[in-house]
Amino acid sequence: MSGAKAWLVVAALALAGGAASAADLEAGKRKAALCEACHGPEGNSVIPVNPSIAGQQVQFLSNTMLFFREGNRKDAQMTPIAANLSNADMNDLAAYFSSLKIAPPKHKSSPENAAAGPGLAQKFMCTQCHGPALLGVQHIPRIAGQQFDYVKTQLLGFKAQKRSDIDGNMTSAAQALSEKDIEILADYIAGIGAP
Amino acid sequence: MLRTLMATAVLAAFASAQAQDKPAPAPAQPWQQGRSAEQMESPLHPFAPNLTGRAAKDLPIDTLKVPAGFKVEVWADGVPEARSLALGDKGTVFVSNRISKNVYAVIDRGGQREVKTILKGMNAPNGIVFSKGTLYVAERNRITSYADIENHLDNPGEGKVVVDNLDPTTQPGHFWKFLAMGPDNKLYFNIGSPQNITMPTYMQASIMRVDPKTGVVENYAQGVRNSVGFDWSPKTHQLWFTVHGRDWLGDDSPADMLEVATRPGQHFGFPYCHEGDMLDPEYGKNRSCKEFTPPAAKLGAHVAPLGMRFYTGKMFPAEYQGNIFIAQHGSWNRTTKQGYNVIRVVVDGKNKVVKSEPFLTGFLTNDKGDPPMWGRPVDVLVMKDGALLVSDDYNGILYRISYKK
Repeated sequence: MSGAKAWLVVAALALAGGAASAADLEAGKRKAALCEACHGPEGNSVIPVNPSIAGQQVQFLSNTMLFFREGNRKDAQMTPIAANLSNADMNDLAAYFSSLKIAPPKHKSSPENAAAGPGLAQKFMCTQCHGPALLGVQHIPRIAGQQFDYVKTQLLGFKAQKRSDIDGNMTSAAQALSEKDIEILADYIAGIGAP
Repeated sequence: MLRTLMATAVLAAFASAQAQDKPAPAPAQPWQQGRSAEQMESPLHPFAPNLTGRAAKDLPIDTLKVPAGFKVEVWADGVPEARSLALGDKGTVFVSNRISKNVYAVIDRGGQREVKTILKGMNAPNGIVFSKGTLYVAERNRITSYADIENHLDNPGEGKVVVDNLDPTTQPGHFWKFLAMGPDNKLYFNIGSPQNITMPTYMQASIMRVDPKTGVVENYAQGVRNSVGFDWSPKTHQLWFTVHGRDWLGDDSPADMLEVATRPGQHFGFPYCHEGDMLDPEYGKNRSCKEFTPPAAKLGAHVAPLGMRFYTGKMFPAEYQGNIFIAQHGSWNRTTKQGYNVIRVVVDGKNKVVKSEPFLTGFLTNDKGDPPMWGRPVDVLVMKDGALLVSDDYNGILYRISYKK
């Protein structure tokens, strides 16, 4: 077992040990170190393929961790980590990261894409579920200001029908997108700052 | 004439060229389908459960209301996405999932409840029923049985297939099933409409039954958009069931329904006629509601009636005998929300609904809110002692309602 891998296992076991029975910010904070290694300090990702989780919708976060544990979503890093999380851990972590402040996006959209993005987001019904400012609601994630590479990868995954979603909405919506649309939307979305 | 044809051809060519430039917009989701042009930007949307569950101590349980003399309390939390309920002979309460993939057994250990996951990795296992020692589970595509389940909670085995291939088209909407054992020892289940409003196939928008001994399936009732709750009258032994009406025809129409099937083969109207007296603007053209069986009661628009049971317990006052309790999951396709409660329906000996009133309320806190509620009733179950159990998939909680003189 490599050193990094052993560290992951130890950290994950530590997480599983501290089971609180209810969503608890402080408990979430104590369990969050492992998450922040990939999702960035206080949940603001600095790794392009990893999503920011600061200020994310709490229900989306807890449901998503569960989907990784139950195998609906699969990821080389997230799957083994989620495997060791109890439902209470997920609720605590979701409450904690949802409470954190979103850092202004480092991504700069191209002027053309910034101009074309809002129209496309409306045309392809992004705003229908993610809301007019793409801030998400309940089980639907905030996507405004999300990492460019992450958004693009997810949209390509939905289009290829390889990325699971709670109700099939995203898979269906992504079928209408061309690769060029995905590029424009991801570039636009990643550059949206605080409303 | 020729000129018109040519103009049409040119227009068609132009339209087709345009279509190639711009991909078609995303196909409507089953729940979005059927919106009018004005409703395309509607902010109304369905709500999803907290799939990890929420602890009772974090929720305003003490704001729940029941009639005088009754008491409501948390019987068990930590039953994530608690959907349908079934009761074993030894008192085991079985609980299903719709989005998640588990079936749970909740065992009463004298004041403490143990929650055990007995089946995992199932495909939308919403339908469960216990009969003569066996647990039957309806997934979206099949029904399986687990013999002598209460003695095998830790090793229920693979399960024996009763019937498979119930979802050959992998239909996008209303694919989850309710399951109940009829007085004829056949398993009854729904196959919903694949979309909000569409022409169903012969298998869809129906209540079917299957003989677990032979696996032979029959169509029992048609024109049923989606029923996620049924039970048989202890007096007449007729099948009563709840039905969700279609969406996107306004805040107050059509009503969701309580229906009664007096014989096999009746048609309850979908997609032609809603709530017994309202023709569908599209599918109702050139039809009449008179050809269909009308509902026993209109329950209100978008209230989403799910599980229902006749009350046959000994605990509640005498006037509750034979009443129907219905869990209402609550409206999303309505500007001002309603439902999110358990109602009591009083039926006379002639299948006439004489009274309907709220029984368990308090989940709905802001009828204009998003979300408007903190909990959503899914199913009801009469316990051996006569108490009523209510499941809540939004939080993964089971509530117990009891009565004391």
